[in-house]
Amino acid sequence: MFFVCLSLRKEPMVKIVGFVSAVLLALLVSPLALAHGVDDNTRAFLQNNTGVQFAPFLYIGAKHMITGYDHILFLIGVVFFLYRGKDILLYVSLFTLGHSVTLLTGVLANIHINAYLIDAIIGLSVFYKGFDNLGGFKRLLGFQPDTRIMVLLFGLCHGFGLATKLQEFAIPKEGLLANLIAFNIGVEIGQFLALAVVVLALSAWRHLPSFHRFSTLTNTGIMACGIMLMGWQLTGYFIN
Amino acid sequence: MTTQPEIMPAKTLWQATGAAVIIGLLVLVTAILPAQYNIDPTGIGDVLGLTALSPEQLSKAKIADKSEADAGVGEQTVELVIPSQSGLEYKMDMAAGNSLDYQWQTDGERIYFDLHGEPAGDTTGYFKSYTIAKAAKMEGSFIAPFAGSHGWYFKNEGWDTITIKLTINGDFDHSRIL
Repeated sequence: MFFVCLSLRKEPMVKIVGFVSAVLLALLVSPLALAHGVDDNTRAFLQNNTGVQFAPFLYIGAKHMITGYDHILFLIGVVFFLYRGKDILLYVSLFTLGHSVTLLTGVLANIHINAYLIDAIIGLSVFYKGFDNLGGFKRLLGFQPDTRIMVLLFGLCHGFGLATKLQEFAIPKEGLLANLIAFNIGVEIGQFLALAVVVLALSAWRHLPSFHRFSTLTNTGIMACGIMLMGWQLTGYFIN
Repeated sequence: MTTQPEIMPAKTLWQATGAAVIIGLLVLVTAILPAQYNIDPTGIGDVLGLTALSPEQLSKAKIADKSEADAGVGEQTVELVIPSQSGLEYKMDMAAGNSLDYQWQTDGERIYFDLHGEPAGDTTGYFKSYTIAKAAKMEGSFIAPFAGSHGWYFKNEGWDTITIKLTINGDFDHSRIL
């Protein structure tokens, strides 16, 4: 997508960022079959192993986040116009707080939410963020809804999405809490890795004139992806 | 907090939103729905060959003797197509004590499988494996130790698609691909 233009620039820093971004994109695009859901090796592991398995659950959590294009799209939207480290930290912490709360309580309290519906809401969060980045709510409502509260609320939704992924496999009760915490830490590691690349790429891009020219286009793309995710999941809900 | 450079003119905002909705719906209807669910209202998915990716098309169950199968006892032959690096479950409902004869073979490739059963109504994720192995063919029978869904999990670890021809014969109901 938009990162491609970076690799054409001469500056070495920008080149590196462009390369890293390209690798991330390849990561995001190529394994579509295993992205998002939990792949079959993981599935076999989840169903056949009992007891505390800290490192494997850590890895599964990180992998789920890095290959989870819906979470990444939302995060790209969230940090798109943030350039101060302090703000990025605040928003990402709110998102992390939100999804950790619902991931842990969702699995531990055995709260079952339809995976298609929650993934459709996650799609909605992607659309929301693209629209919000274009100042849509300011235009529509006449004021800007608190983006911090919104990122926390949608963080709660994303956590339920993470919880449903684990619940699909009815993981054994034994060692559940430790495994769940490992999964959660893995999710944060995956998020950190993905965000590092996104923030680096955005901050390099921000200084180029093309950022202003393409920021509307990029957020339109984010909205379009949100629509696709919503339609995909809602259709799945209605036919299953 | 944010650094939106200027407030977007209303026209640009609605153009962007409209374009997003149109592009999103277009990709959804012509590519995602055909490839994911075999839903292809425009026919474009079929033309592009995308519907071939959907699980419904990948595994076309051929019911050999439907009338008997419907009666609760019967013989059934299915062809299961398992793409590279993916897995598939074929399960049927059986009552406790009912028996099933089975026979399956691949084109020659060995495939990982787990023949197992899950008790009906169980939510703990418990399941009992009867056989876990890698083989290119297998023949045998088993008696369901409890009422529930019983069947195979096949996992293609290789780089080529594997087709399995499976014949089951016995007391079962609602055989399906998961």
